[in-house]
Amino acid sequence: MRRFAYYPGCIAEFSSKELDATTKHLAPMLDIELLPMPAATCCGAGDIAEAKPNLYLTLNVRILSQAEEMGVDILTICNVCTLNLRRANKMVKEDARLLESVNEELVKVGARPYEGTIDVTHLLWYISTEEGLALLEKQGPKGLNGLRVAPYYGCQLLRPSSVMGFEDPDKPQSLERLITALGGEVADYEAKSSCCGFPIILAREQVALKESHNALSQSRDAGADVMVTPCPLCHLAMDAYQRKAEAANATEYNMPVLHLPQLIGLALGIDNKIMDFKRHLVPMDRVLEAVGA
Amino acid sequence: MAKTTFDIFRYQPDVSDAQYRQSYDLEHEGDFTILDAILRLQDEQDGTLAVRYSCRSAICGSCACKANGKTVLACMSQVEDVKKEFGTETVQVDPIGNFAPLKDLIVDMDPFWAKFKSVKPYLIPDGPAPEKERIVSKEDMQKLFRESACILCAACYSECNSLAADPDFVGPAAFAWGYRFAGDVRDGQRKQRAKLYTGEHGVWDCTRCMYCNERCPKGVNPRDAIEKLGGIAFQEGRSMKDAGARHAKAFLISMRTGGKLNETVLVPFTDPVKAHFDIPFALQMIRHGKAPSPIPHRIKKLKEVQKLMKNVKETI
Repeated sequence: MRRFAYYPGCIAEFSSKELDATTKHLAPMLDIELLPMPAATCCGAGDIAEAKPNLYLTLNVRILSQAEEMGVDILTICNVCTLNLRRANKMVKEDARLLESVNEELVKVGARPYEGTIDVTHLLWYISTEEGLALLEKQGPKGLNGLRVAPYYGCQLLRPSSVMGFEDPDKPQSLERLITALGGEVADYEAKSSCCGFPIILAREQVALKESHNALSQSRDAGADVMVTPCPLCHLAMDAYQRKAEAANATEYNMPVLHLPQLIGLALGIDNKIMDFKRHLVPMDRVLEAVGA
Repeated sequence: MAKTTFDIFRYQPDVSDAQYRQSYDLEHEGDFTILDAILRLQDEQDGTLAVRYSCRSAICGSCACKANGKTVLACMSQVEDVKKEFGTETVQVDPIGNFAPLKDLIVDMDPFWAKFKSVKPYLIPDGPAPEKERIVSKEDMQKLFRESACILCAACYSECNSLAADPDFVGPAAFAWGYRFAGDVRDGQRKQRAKLYTGEHGVWDCTRCMYCNERCPKGVNPRDAIEKLGGIAFQEGRSMKDAGARHAKAFLISMRTGGKLNETVLVPFTDPVKAHFDIPFALQMIRHGKAPSPIPHRIKKLKEVQKLMKNVKETI
């Protein structure tokens, strides 16, 4: 059993609760114990970094230190959280003076200083390795019945590769490996690692909807039955905002979108009630029918 | 001796409007860059092949192009490395993206230069010139170290996702230069620059796709510069002046009041007018259980966070 400090991120805890619930249900099946982090803040989502860079760094190091105190690495289920935590981790691990000054601030407010010993990983990275896929195999997956799945990575789990570093950002294969291992077919398309537009969707909606159009239209044209993403922000852009993107781009996609653990859940036969597809805006009916769930 | 097929983008508007790829074979050995290949093709096989280049040493920034779809400096990319990276015997060479082609690999850079000029990419000191030079400490100069390395090759523009969706976006290289001067202790226009850079199509339009940081051949990290310009905008009192700034401000408010993102604050705070008129969408979200909870989440040890928010000083 591998123990992780579980950092679901704000979206999975609030508007995309189905992602958190599915992950928690799935974890023991994948030999993972998820330890809660009740004092962890939001990672700032790039927004706090854009407003107050030093504060962003201090807050994220505070989160890293909490996991260090628990003696475990952090597991995330969100691209943006992964980038923000890893970036802060890299910054202080590579610069002892910077770590010292951040720790000074932490100690001043009674928080634990960080020693720079932990790592941050994403569920996709954990499960798409040979060992991870073997864990899935052990569960005897009932499979996806040839479902055509469009992998959608988004940006921040891949780039910048100097911070993320799990796979080649221009030729990612982790989702493909997973889809194939689960008995699905990969619907490949170019825009799988282009931006969903979510970071600016509230402030610049029309620009953002042009961005999500690329992946939505291309995955549709590649004959995908469903799209899967490792990021709840991408999920909101692709699912919750899909009707808006259709209106903005004068087209139809009708593309259901799965969170990563839901794809695994479908293949392992997790109860649909737990995965709570009713919380998605684009209906999942045809997908459930195709896999016989 | 290695043999490579080059599939090169062709467009000769003085001959026809057709845009197509033409294949050329070359034998080569030793170090051999994509620019070497193009120049040899020009010399030995096709004198009409057009490319923009100058220094051949990754200094002038003229020869950015796409090799197998990935933006690179042609003079800096070894043909054998590209083949190995993509597992191909063929190298596809295209002009950089997000620009209109003028002829073969040459694109129209006018919009790029217009955006570059729009950020006032030069020092504008306050007051009369001193008798001797303006001394800058090593520490202050190091803050601008990365941005100072920009060679204006436009590799960052080539794959910028914001620019692809909004051609008027000022963009990564221009903002790297913007920070290069806004962050310079000798500059007297910090406040004015903060305003200039944060309007429509400005800093807040960056979608954080991170392609600029990934592609920059000089390690400039333009996205980081954009982020720092956001920080300067906050320091210069512009945190309520744009929906993008208010979006970031809402994260700070959420952090202070609960430690987690409070979506009840985020949406109406970012754009109160739109939030008001977007009722059908809001209802749809509520129907699918995506309504934010009216009671904000509160993390344990929130006081630590509130104190940090008070104590931590910004140093951009």
